[in-house]
Amino acid sequence: MRTMRFGIFVVVAALILVLALFAGPRMINPFSMSGTEREILFAIRLPRVVVAMLMGMALGASGAILQGVLRNPLADPYILGISSGASLAAALGLMSGFYFFGSLSVPVTAFIGAVLVSLLVGAFGMKRGGLWPERLLLAGIGLNFLFSAMLMLLMSVSSDDGLRRVVLWMFGDLSMADWTLIPSASIFVLAGLAIALWRSKALNALILGDEFAYSLGFAVQRERLIMFAAMALMTSASVSLGGTIGFIGLLMPHIARFLLGADSRVLIPASAVAGGAFLCLADLIGRSLMPPLELPSGTVTAIIGAPYFLYLLRRKDVLSV
Amino acid sequence: MSSAYKGPIIELRDVSFRYPGSRLIVNDLSFSVGNGEFIGLLGANGSGKSTILKLAAGMLQPAAGTVRLWDKPLSTYRNKDRAKLLCYFPQQLDVNVPFTVREIVGMGLYPYDIPPQMTVDEALAMVGLTAKASAFVTNLSGGERRRVFIAMTLIQGAGVLLLDEPLANLDIRYQIEFLRLLRGLQKQKGISVIMALHDVNIALQFEKVMVIREGSILGSGSPETVLTKEMIRQAFEVDIEVRRSDRGETYITHEKWF
Repeated sequence: MRTMRFGIFVVVAALILVLALFAGPRMINPFSMSGTEREILFAIRLPRVVVAMLMGMALGASGAILQGVLRNPLADPYILGISSGASLAAALGLMSGFYFFGSLSVPVTAFIGAVLVSLLVGAFGMKRGGLWPERLLLAGIGLNFLFSAMLMLLMSVSSDDGLRRVVLWMFGDLSMADWTLIPSASIFVLAGLAIALWRSKALNALILGDEFAYSLGFAVQRERLIMFAAMALMTSASVSLGGTIGFIGLLMPHIARFLLGADSRVLIPASAVAGGAFLCLADLIGRSLMPPLELPSGTVTAIIGAPYFLYLLRRKDVLSV
Repeated sequence: MSSAYKGPIIELRDVSFRYPGSRLIVNDLSFSVGNGEFIGLLGANGSGKSTILKLAAGMLQPAAGTVRLWDKPLSTYRNKDRAKLLCYFPQQLDVNVPFTVREIVGMGLYPYDIPPQMTVDEALAMVGLTAKASAFVTNLSGGERRRVFIAMTLIQGAGVLLLDEPLANLDIRYQIEFLRLLRGLQKQKGISVIMALHDVNIALQFEKVMVIREGSILGSGSPETVLTKEMIRQAFEVDIEVRRSDRGETYITHEKWF
């Protein structure tokens, strides 16, 4: 039964991917493509869809992990300040005009920022050799405020140059997507996903509480650290690919849990699939609604996501970890 | 495990423990549990029962002394191997979890690569939850929730059960059924049980009780010999008495309570 539902889930996601490839301001007929259309498909649409898919997968899976590790249904990967730290790093890079890594400046500085913030949050969340969910959450919230304020400060004192890009990027900008980042980012995302799936039983046990997890034969602190690392890897890769896209990390685990249950062995891949498909859809809407203007995908995900989230909130049983 | 071994299954030797920055919670404690023994750990709230069980489970590391399981230091076991031999049941059940009854009970099989003999359905039947297998645990009553975790403990199949007040929230019927279930497992499989209690009436049902105060053993032995008026006064600071009726039933007496 659940296998069938998961199958339907994957098929729907695949259909959305295909739709995102061929639909848009310019509809492409896959069976008779002109040279220009072929060019659009392979140089613009395909990398964009792949980036959206990778980012959505990373955020969806990260959300499922973090809601479990923190045992908090409101957790999403950005709550820990990872995205604001990454944004700050990227903004610093952009505004200083100091392009360290050529055209890869933004993603590389963002990735470094995200990893550094993850380490920092982890360090604050540590006590007596272990990660403690409440400490982790509070440290993340504190750092998130700090980095957001610093980012605002930076933006308010800087010249307009690059400002629009930073703002766009903060709301999740997929218009710059090309093939360059895809290989390295997919390694991080797939590695994080693989680690999370490998330890998914441990995550189930952690959700029951540390004492049961221990009694069931898991090294509680080690498992929590592994899961945190997998989450940080995926979120960092996602932020570096296309900035901050809200609501996927929060919402997708809830949808997946509602449809397929809370067992992390299913929930993590399902949240990843749902996240990938949802971001492709949001991006398709964002670039099709009023061409040639493109709406940042992050705003579209929030505008679709928030009402659905509120709808879910009204339903029983859904809003638990 | 080797059938030749006749010593204690679990043994605490000169164990002391303190939480960082606090007074000594457990002070130079020694006791052992033999194969198939059924021990009630009786004490007032805050007497250190939970800490003693967590030390015996290896969740807390003693500041001094050793804990041995099957004559080997507990800390030398791999986590999974330990989980097949020893199971800890916490006092506080945080049941605000999104799982169904069947999913939670199934987690009892996590330590195993090849599932042992008992199935999820059998475990559910043992605790009377067959009809609720697909229900979310959040939709159950307090007693039913507890039975879900009891079923998980049963399926885990460990030979040593360290149970921290497993009878809390259970009505009298399920208290009795749970105790009978454990007795059945003890007879069938020779499991050893240490159960923290604060109910003197239930302690009377055990063959052996250990009375705890401030992390030390006040007395240990059969309830009739150990649970004297003086002992209960020391442990609980209350005047009640254990009597035996002409028919051999033990019970506690007290003047009108309020």
